[in-house]
Amino acid sequence: MIERWALVSGLKGDLETYEVIQRELKNTRAVKTLFVLGDMVGPERNCDALLNRLKNPIRGELQPQCIYGWWEEQLLAEQGFRGEQKADALRLNQGEEAVTALLDAVDPSHLKWLASLQFGFIELDCGLIHGSSANVGDHLTPETSPLILLDRLTRLDVNRLFTAHSTKQFHLELAGGELNSQVKDLNGERQYQQKVSKQSIIGIGAGPNYTIYDVGSDKTQFLSAGGQCNTSGNGFA
Amino acid sequence: MKNAVISCLHANLAAVKAVLNDIDQQGIDHITCLGDLVGYGPQPNEVVELIRKRAIDTCQGCWDEDIIEGLNACECSYPSQLAEKRGHLAHEWTAEQLTDENKNFLAGLPTSIRRDRILFVHGSPNSQHEYLLPDMNAFAALERVEKAGADILFCGHTHQPYVRELKNGSIRVRLKNTSQNNAEEKEMNLPMRKIVNAGSVGEPRHGSTNATYVIHDDITEEIEIREVTYDVNQTCTAIIEAGLPQIFAWRLSHGFEFAEQAEDASHVCER
Amino acid sequence: MSKAWLISGSPGCGKTTWILKAMKAHQGSCGYLRLTNSPTNELAQLPQTEIDYTFLKDQIPHLQNLSGFHKVVTSQNDDLLVFIELPVLQAHTDQSTFEIYSRIKNQLESLGLYPEKHLHFGREPELPSQDILEFTKLESCSHELLGKVWDPQSLNTFWFELVNGAYGDVYRAKALMNLPDGQSIFFNWIISQECSQFLPLRTISPPNGRPERTSELVIQGIGLNCTRIQSTIDLCLLNNAILEMHQLPLRDRHSEAIQAI
Repeated sequence: MIERWALVSGLKGDLETYEVIQRELKNTRAVKTLFVLGDMVGPERNCDALLNRLKNPIRGELQPQCIYGWWEEQLLAEQGFRGEQKADALRLNQGEEAVTALLDAVDPSHLKWLASLQFGFIELDCGLIHGSSANVGDHLTPETSPLILLDRLTRLDVNRLFTAHSTKQFHLELAGGELNSQVKDLNGERQYQQKVSKQSIIGIGAGPNYTIYDVGSDKTQFLSAGGQCNTSGNGFA
Repeated sequence: MKNAVISCLHANLAAVKAVLNDIDQQGIDHITCLGDLVGYGPQPNEVVELIRKRAIDTCQGCWDEDIIEGLNACECSYPSQLAEKRGHLAHEWTAEQLTDENKNFLAGLPTSIRRDRILFVHGSPNSQHEYLLPDMNAFAALERVEKAGADILFCGHTHQPYVRELKNGSIRVRLKNTSQNNAEEKEMNLPMRKIVNAGSVGEPRHGSTNATYVIHDDITEEIEIREVTYDVNQTCTAIIEAGLPQIFAWRLSHGFEFAEQAEDASHVCER
Repeated sequence: MSKAWLISGSPGCGKTTWILKAMKAHQGSCGYLRLTNSPTNELAQLPQTEIDYTFLKDQIPHLQNLSGFHKVVTSQNDDLLVFIELPVLQAHTDQSTFEIYSRIKNQLESLGLYPEKHLHFGREPELPSQDILEFTKLESCSHELLGKVWDPQSLNTFWFELVNGAYGDVYRAKALMNLPDGQSIFFNWIISQECSQFLPLRTISPPNGRPERTSELVIQGIGLNCTRIQSTIDLCLLNNAILEMHQLPLRDRHSEAIQAI
């Protein structure tokens, strides 16, 4: 049976784009699940309408499965949901104004729901996370060291990792390779070889750029809301 | 020059004295300590004071951090409820015993020490709580050393001494679904790196009661794992006299660690 | 006509295991009686326990428990085979087995039981003999664990410490322990064997609070520190909140499965 997932991120309050994506998904065959990998909120516009819609889908549209992203993490930290932490990363990178704009963009009534969201999903042998298993702000791209990519897959013990924080669309396969180990301890010496197994990192894009993933064939389709199919994702820089 | 690296002293004075004596006998005067000076054992002040007196370069271990910060270790560091409750008992006892001066010393320790392309940490460059076990995924192990910008990474925390050389590695990656019709492919050759675990002076878990540490010769690049016998009964008696749980003495005298350790090498504390 | 067999032997020699095998081989119904409340001084050293019966009942669901009966009524149970299990502390001599039987003869007769066979471990060649130990002057600890549920990893550590001598020299330990997933595990250990036997019972408790079935730990040995054993047990048992955390997803799955039917 064909099963496809739609993967969306970085809407930052943009209900209009979300509605376009939902309409397009209605006409896309076999899309059973919609994953929203965080960054539903942002400082640019009021996010309440989008959040209301994600919480209360209208009849006939796909029910979104949401996790929190980097912007939600900043908001929740600033609002006291992360112990003593504050939105330090946002403050450092974009200044106090961005923090204020973010607080203004989200009505406090949404905080409880946002705080209840998970860090990621494990579906079949796939991990779906905003950044990576190491950090919600992990910026993974095709140029990221393959060692780091392998580490992120290993930590989650998955074969495919869907990531969104870099905003890029790409499908990178770890196609082969090995690494030899020589271990000496009190019992003597031993050698062994670790092989790279076929695993992938998939960047799903952000905002209007979203991804359809065919679970059976392991194929990705990179799309843009209201536009053409992005026949391709990002190549190596 | 030879450098001795010691770790995980765990307030076991007899073991620390025996190891320092072994180092002295070999004429080695440069010692680096990878933390966990206290925790479980009966002589936290004595051990901290000995390290201070000898002016040994020391980085902070997870126990040293938690004694200062309050019980901070994430629950997943404990493999069972029993280990967690015993750990908490030991924590409370140690926090009560330690003098303010010694607490300040532990609080001021750095989380890592760098000497050129050699990095010294307690657990891993990611966290004082992460275990780098000898058989963990080789790529993930190499990533830790690379991330640290080091050729050799010295660590402790697992209480099992080992030297792991990671070499002759490569990774091939292929970009699918790109603008070119053919998939783009590239290969990365991996550098050779070493991870050295110094084992544990005060709480070994390698099958015997002997304390362990390592000696690194930076000219020949040789690393020797040393085993040192010490008077275990002396420490066991001190455990009972101090009013710590008697089971700690039984476990130490049988070569078992005070509490079991977490097995998941890839786990990273997210706090 | 119903029959009765008397099976005697030292703790841990394999009486219950042998009885289970014989029950499975018997075509008709089976009864079980464990004698521990004998007036003799020797048996008074052995703790009373429901562990063996609970384990046998789990394996042989129609097993009749004859403990507590004033008289065994056999007229309507012509194919009933009653196994009388008798733990004794000393190893076999002809003199001692004769004494054993004469001590309990009256007790059995008052119950209407006249064993046609008396099989004593260490004497009969048909019985296994590798675990026949001299058990004299043993201490024992008995820990009632009804309704208690263990953290599985902690149980693992506790049992390891127990059988390796952390709380005194343990010669024999057996137990029925509850786990948070509803399982009850039969633990069995004797000093002459290299490792413990762990057998999960067939019956699983529903994930609705604390299980009500038999759960206890019985230990025999020398220099046992029962207080320290109890202290460690207390550190291993789950409180209500953690038990609920374990049971909640099981309950959801349980109700989903029922809805699916």
